[in-house]
Order: sequence, then structure tokens, then C-alpha cells
Amino acid sequence: MVGLAGLSADSVRVAARSPGSDRSTPGGRRRRLREAALSAGMLAPAVVVYTVMTIVPVIVALYLSLTDWNGFSSAAFVGLDNYARLFDDPDTTRAAVVTVIVAFFGSVGMLGLGLVYALQLKERNWANSFFRTLAYYPHVISSLILGFLWSAILGTNGAINNTLADLGVGPVGFLFDENLAVITLVGVIVWAGFGFNVVLFVAGLQTVPRELVEAAQIDGASRRQINRRIVIPMIAPVVTVAMVLNLVGLIKVYDIVVSLTDGGPAGATETIAYVILTRSFAGTDVGFATAQAVGLMMASAALSVVVTALRNRQDRAAAS
Amino acid sequence: MNRRLLAAAVTALVLTAASACGGGGGTEGGAGKTTLRMIVNITPNLTEQFWNGLFDRYEAKHPDVTVQLELTGTIEAEAKLRQDLAAGDPPDIAQHVVPTPETAELFVDLSGEPWAAKTPLFDEYAIGGKHYVVGVGEQIQSLVFYNKKAFADAGLDATKIRNIAQFEEAMGKLKKAGLVPLQTAGQWVTGAQFSMLADAGVLTADPDWTVKRKKGGTTFAASGYKRYYELYRSWLEQGFLDKSALGLQYPDGQAAFLKGGSAMYIMGSYFVPAADEAGKSDDIGVFPVPSDGAYPPGQFGNMAQPYTVVAQSKHREAAIDLVEWLVTDEEAIKVQLAADGNLRKGFAYDVSSLGDGVQKVLDEAPTVLVKQGDRQPVQGYADELNKQIQSLFTGASADDVATKLDQWWDSQG
Repeated sequence: MVGLAGLSADSVRVAARSPGSDRSTPGGRRRRLREAALSAGMLAPAVVVYTVMTIVPVIVALYLSLTDWNGFSSAAFVGLDNYARLFDDPDTTRAAVVTVIVAFFGSVGMLGLGLVYALQLKERNWANSFFRTLAYYPHVISSLILGFLWSAILGTNGAINNTLADLGVGPVGFLFDENLAVITLVGVIVWAGFGFNVVLFVAGLQTVPRELVEAAQIDGASRRQINRRIVIPMIAPVVTVAMVLNLVGLIKVYDIVVSLTDGGPAGATETIAYVILTRSFAGTDVGFATAQAVGLMMASAALSVVVTALRNRQDRAAAS
Repeated sequence: MNRRLLAAAVTALVLTAASACGGGGGTEGGAGKTTLRMIVNITPNLTEQFWNGLFDRYEAKHPDVTVQLELTGTIEAEAKLRQDLAAGDPPDIAQHVVPTPETAELFVDLSGEPWAAKTPLFDEYAIGGKHYVVGVGEQIQSLVFYNKKAFADAGLDATKIRNIAQFEEAMGKLKKAGLVPLQTAGQWVTGAQFSMLADAGVLTADPDWTVKRKKGGTTFAASGYKRYYELYRSWLEQGFLDKSALGLQYPDGQAAFLKGGSAMYIMGSYFVPAADEAGKSDDIGVFPVPSDGAYPPGQFGNMAQPYTVVAQSKHREAAIDLVEWLVTDEEAIKVQLAADGNLRKGFAYDVSSLGDGVQKVLDEAPTVLVKQGDRQPVQGYADELNKQIQSLFTGASADDVATKLDQWWDSQG
């Protein structure tokens, strides 16, 4: 068998000039035009949908963020006033801090728990399949419903506090203590979302060559050493993807906040997305709300880029 | 980009989504029929079934008109209206949307309608001398509902509670009797109850307080509100309010009071249908919130069932006719008042003893304090107040609350 490497440059050029594929012949030009038209025709629906559904709204949002539009009347151009207000507005500042806390600790929690869980369940058997399904189960339920569910469990009149009351113990402020409410929110988010990480990690673990693991076992490496030195580094790209997805998902968390704490107590669990949707838009401050949303979008994009760049740098360092 | 271009862009988006979902529709019904599209707010009292029943009555008398409900679902009526307008698909009538100076131009000025001036709180809701909204009745909100048995057990007479000192003394006795004296809850309830209490005192003494605050003529820290922040904080310290109540949702707080776990509950007249529904109305009494000034104080209140005709309506005359029927037809008024526990002078309907009690409070109130028109606080104030009052539960001082409210108000352009 002759490989491509065995072909001379001349023979490749001759093959490229074969009849029908010659650029100079009318038949070749027609065929290329047909192919180009076909490609454009097949791409067109996607381009139109993407433009209308993504590009146009982003452009409109950018424009609106530079106006004082209240959602009803005509809008006046106010330049960067709304962006300057972002830094003066106490609600936005506090919500930004809460969002960072929720995104960071939520992401770390989901990654950590997901990784531990996946490492325990990497082997294929019926029990592991059952527990993987169990972990993923909360992810398929609406976050709104999960929030209401946990609110019924953790609220002052919830199942846990009622049980504690029967035991003569005062209510625990899962939802009415400022600090505990944030911890509760993060906890519920981790519980609801770590199953998705498990699925990603289990898929990543399937790609780790068994020979490497077996070789390490023969060399006397412990399970912990194998995980730390071989398995986890090999699934690092999957961890990066999960981290980016977690961060981007959590930076705009809204629904679970509404149903679990409704931003309370005293605004302690208000995230940026919550403030945008419940206060700024509802308060007919659409220009400012859009500036908040653009800020959120940019933060999200920047975060994705930073995490991916850091990961790539780490990978390059490991490879060199 | 001008507004028309913006509307075109949004319309394109909405049309794309609508065509993708197979949506469609129009405002015209059958031959010769006018279809009026109306945004309605759905609540536990004002259900879809209620609205359909109400409009069946209208359609029976006006066979040429069909009323089509535009349900708000999970979004606010105002957001629904904004959505429809942005999509270039305006409804004809909006219920539960109260115009502000910024949005007034979107609605038909009803000043010239002779029937409109006779509707409740018509003048109080005026904007720049024009009248864009009419209502069916009034809701009053500075009410203290009390558990009759708890009061009897604690040896209290509700009719003697008129000022803050008497109120505090009663709360002390109720606490000694092992009850939570005052029921509250998280979500919006905390700030709303505070307003129902404090506004009756401060705004009865100075109805133009909000106007002065807007002009910088007063502050929260230097006004009567400061005393109420201090009172509320001291009530928390004395255990008159349960700090864990912040972990309750609105229905949970209401249920706790109805079950008798707490002695008093500050709430609006719309609590009456809930008490009726629970079969507890005869066990509950009502009196106006206490005040150190005039007694009884003014009742913090608002227009019940506000209706506006959308300026872009394609059936303006028909829409005005329907709104007129809603707020002037005796039968329609009674149905609407009864459904939401609302009140209107001269309109009696079958109510429980508790409903009678609320009507008596309204009859004796020197005024209904309405925070609309010029007296409307800046947008978002209710949310901010709620947050700040909740912060009293989590350790903030009265000074903190006053300062933060002033800072927030001043930061709102």
C-alpha cells in the first residue's frame, strides 16, 4: 500500500488538475458555483435564525442600555449614564457580591461533589447506574419547583424546623438568617446541579485508558494516587468545561432564588439576575436594567475566557 | 435607532417566535363582532373563572362584543402590557395597571367621561389634572385583625386600643399569655405591614409628606417615620414579633394567624375573603392601626380593580363602554367587590361579620390616604422599604434604616 507520504508533489498537482476539477474549465466553475450556492442555501436558515434571535437582540440591548427607556414611552439617549449608575446603585453592588459568592462556591461545590461522586461511580454496574440517575434526577426538575420544595423543607414552618420544634429545639434560620440563607441557597444549588457534573465526569472517566490505570496498579500505586496522578489530570479538559458551564450558569441564577428565598431576608440572597428581573424591569427602569444585563453578559464572557485561558496555560505547562 | 425601528426589531422577533409556535390570532371575532382584548391580573380571589363569569354577563347584554382575556400568568400586568406594546400588538384594556406620570400618555384620558368622576378615588389618582384610570372600589389597609379568643384569654378589650402605648401594652399581655402578639411573614409582607402601620400615623399628620420628600424638604431620618423604625426594632427586641417569621411565605403567615398561633395581624381588607374561606370570620375582629395623633387615623388605601383604556386600542369606544360597565353597573360592581373583599360607599353586599367590621372602620376613617399621583413615592420604594424593615430583624438599627432609605431615595435619579 502506498501512503500519501509516498506520492510526489508532481503527482498530487496532476491529480488536482484532472478533468472536471480544473478551475479554468466552464464545467468546473459551474460545479463550484453550484456547490457554493448549495452551501449558502443550507447555511442561510441558521444564519437568519442566529441573526434574528441572537445578534439583533444583543444590538438592541446595547442600544437600550444607552437610553433612559421605561418600557413604554419614547427613549432618550443618555450615553453611559446607566453604566455609571451600576457602580452607584447599592442594590446592584450588593447583588453583584452575592452573585460572585453564589457562582464561586456553587461552582466549587458542584465540581467537588460531582468529581467525588463520579470517581466512586466510574465502574459500570447496575448499582452505579442507579446512583448516577439519582444524582442527575434534580437536574431534570425545574429550578422553580426545587426552590419551592426546599422552601417547604427548610422554611420556618418547614419539615425540618417542625421536627426540631417537636424535639424542643428552636427554629434554624435556613431562610431567615442573613448568612445562613446564602449558605442554604448555595447548598440547594449544588444539590440541584452537581448531577450534571457527574454525567460529564463519568463520560470523561470512560476515556481514561485502562492500560494506564492497570500499569499504575501493577506498579503498586494506591487508588488515591491513581486518581490524583492519572485520572484527574486526564479529565482536566472536562473539568474546565464543567467549570465554565457552572460559572456561566450560576452567574445568572434567578429562578431558584425566587422560589427559595425571594431574595430575602433583607435582600441577602438577591443576585444580579434577580434584581434585573424583579426590580429594574418590573420598575419600568428598562434602560438601566438592560445596562445591568449587558454588564452581566460581559462578566459572564470574561469569566469564560479567563477560566479557559488559565486551564490552557496549565495544560501547556503540564505538557512541556 | 429610533423607536419605530426598535419596535420593528422587537416585532420581528415576536413574529418569528409566534410563527415558530404556530401562534396567530386577531382582534376581530365573528362577522360584525368586536373582540376586546383585556389584560387581567390573576390572583387567588380573581381567578380566570371569575373573569370569564364576569364578562359572560357583559356579553349577554352586548352580543356584538366578545371579551378576550389576556392572562398575565407569571408576569405582572404592567410587564404584560409592555410586552404587548413592544410587539406592536396592543390590548384594548388593562386591569391592574396604574398609570404614572411617565406612562400616562399610553392611556386614554377619561376626564371627559361624565360617569368616571363618580368612581372611587377618582381625584386621588389624577396625574397632572387628567384621569387615566377608574376603579370599582377601595381597598383599605391600615387594619389590625385580632384573634377574639386570644384577646379574651389575655383580658384585653380591642376597642380600647387607640394609641401606640396601649398597643404595646396589649402586645405585652398577649406575649405573657404565650402567644406571638403580632404575626408577620417574609416576602413582601414585612414592609407592607410596616407601611400600613406607619403611613397611617405619618401621612395622616402630613398628607404631603411624600411630595416634600421628593423636593428634598424632609428625610426619613428627620421625620415621623424614624419613630416607627425605632418602635418596630423595640418590638422585635421584646419578642412581640417572631424573628423566624421572615422564613414564612405570605400564605404561611396568614395561615398561622388563622390557626390562632398569633394574636394580631396587620393586613388589608383583602384578608377578609381569606378568613371567610377558612370559616374563621366570626372568630376574628378588626380595628384601625393605633396612632399617637388623630384617632381613628386615616386609612392607607388604594383603588380596587383599576381599569385603563389603552391609547393604541383599535376599538377605543367599545373599550370605554366596557370599562364604564365594569365600574358603574350595579351588578358588576357587587360581583367584583365581593370577589376581592373590596368596599364602596353605597354598595352593600352579603359579607361576613368581619367584612362588616372593615366597612365600619372605613366609614369612621377621616380620610383614605392614597399614595398615587403627586403623592406616589419613587419607583421601587416599596421593595427597598421591605428590605430595610427586614434588616431590622437581622440586626440593623433604626438609624441604619433611616439613613439607607434616604441614601437609596436620593440615588434614584
